[in-house]
Amino acid sequence: MMNGNRREATGLALVAPSFLFLLVFFIIPAVLLFVCSFWLAQAFRLIPTFTFDNYSRALSAGGFYLLTLNALKNGLWTAVISVLLSFPAAYFIVYRTRGNLLFYLILVSWFASYLVRIYAWRTILGSNGLINTTLMQLGLIDQPLEVLLFSPFATILTLVHIMVPFALLLLVSALRDVRKEYIEAARDLGAGGFEVLTRVILPMSYKGVVGAFMFTFVISAGDFVTPQLLGGRDGMTTGILIANQFRTAGNWPFGAAMAFILLATFLMTYFMFVRLLDVLRLAPGRRFHD
Amino acid sequence: MLRIYVWLFVAFLYAPIAIITLFSFHASPSLTFPFEGFSLRWYSQIFANPTFVDSLRNSLIVGASTAVITTILGSLTALGLARLKGRVQTMFGLLAFGPVALPGLFLGIALVMLFAQISLQRSLVTVTIAHVLFTLPFFIEAVRSRIEYFDLSLEEAARDLGATPLQTFRLVTLPIIGPTIGGAAILSFALSFDEFIITVFVSGNDTTLPLMIWSMMRRAVSPDINAASVLSLAMSIGLILIGGLLVWYQRRLALSARAKDTEA
Repeated sequence: MMNGNRREATGLALVAPSFLFLLVFFIIPAVLLFVCSFWLAQAFRLIPTFTFDNYSRALSAGGFYLLTLNALKNGLWTAVISVLLSFPAAYFIVYRTRGNLLFYLILVSWFASYLVRIYAWRTILGSNGLINTTLMQLGLIDQPLEVLLFSPFATILTLVHIMVPFALLLLVSALRDVRKEYIEAARDLGAGGFEVLTRVILPMSYKGVVGAFMFTFVISAGDFVTPQLLGGRDGMTTGILIANQFRTAGNWPFGAAMAFILLATFLMTYFMFVRLLDVLRLAPGRRFHD
Repeated sequence: MLRIYVWLFVAFLYAPIAIITLFSFHASPSLTFPFEGFSLRWYSQIFANPTFVDSLRNSLIVGASTAVITTILGSLTALGLARLKGRVQTMFGLLAFGPVALPGLFLGIALVMLFAQISLQRSLVTVTIAHVLFTLPFFIEAVRSRIEYFDLSLEEAARDLGATPLQTFRLVTLPIIGPTIGGAAILSFALSFDEFIITVFVSGNDTTLPLMIWSMMRRAVSPDINAASVLSLAMSIGLILIGGLLVWYQRRLALSARAKDTEA
């Protein structure tokens, strides 16, 4: 007993420096940002007060809904496509390969710098880019396709490219918990491929699927660099608007309020996604007799 | 079928990287085929640019400082978490993971708010603080699974035999978890080296490499940006490969040592 207590005390002491760091540079700033969302800004100076003006100003502007919708669309499309694309690859890696070479190959591409990948896609999709010039040389089109670049398509394609290795990492570690024997048992009991997937694999890798979806969603919906560089005029998002408040225009409390509204929509998306999996009977922890 | 799909998947991931790498060696400024021959002119042009050299140096300084601080904080945390149980462990685990569960935008604006309130001038110091915050969760996550298998009774045995806490750490703990920590430290460096979203808010006058690439992207397109991008890619991917090989090699050594022990 003495030993256990001492072990715990040592544990707390070891964790303390990180806790202090996270307290000062994570918890306090987050609280400060929340408090500031109720302040006002005048001529670039912050005025501590308590008002809901920033929230009502954002929520009463029609444009704000449009930009938030754009942000959520970027997030949802990226998350759906990334999970759908990486699931079969994760399945292959876990059940069909013995070595880890393929897995590492995919993982390494995650470390290809974020900005460089945005730049690469801009080069490829641009009106003088690889796709347009190739199509024109082949005589398939006369004019460069302008929709390729500066469109939601370009944003989502690039975000998928950025997020897919991470989604795969989460799915692979989730599938590693679903042992091959369970799948074989289900097959022996007469389950078809679809049933094995929906009744065994997905419910058992539930946490990984939710994690991969939500991570991809949150990071892409909150991203402001990709839509700013590739999204064009119609691709403007709340993220860009928030970033601008803190970089150029300079109404910090307004930016903070919009950030918390965006965060609230992320939370709602999470609950809706979990509910959807529940309704589709892909969630674990229930017995299905039918 | 599935095999073909997976290789197409890998091709999708690497094609854009391969294309800009190829064109960074292009003799002409054009970014399209036909390819008109190889040249290193964009590389010599970028290295002649003092802003590039400065930002590369800044990125190396920030990356190294981040890796050192994150490694110290993260290793202590992982060792501490192995000793904690139940709710305390879960709570702290969640807290430590928090910074990556939010978009970088939130961390960036929250930090810039804090720095303004405490009147901390934005500089490479504030950038390093932000990078430690961003890399710490990855470090802890990477090291944790290894430490969960770490047998605390080995440390206790050393203590019972009269070793001081420091000796125990140096002679027992470190040799076991060392390679994993080394790998995770390299991971932190690579993540810091590429970080842009938070950096854009907390940086002062000194730019890092991603900030420089960003400003090149916003100005006129000049092919030397290809060279800058490829150098940045080579740096981070190269580091990750070295870190991965290191961990893999150490693990092999440990496994073959264990095999020898059981034979004997």
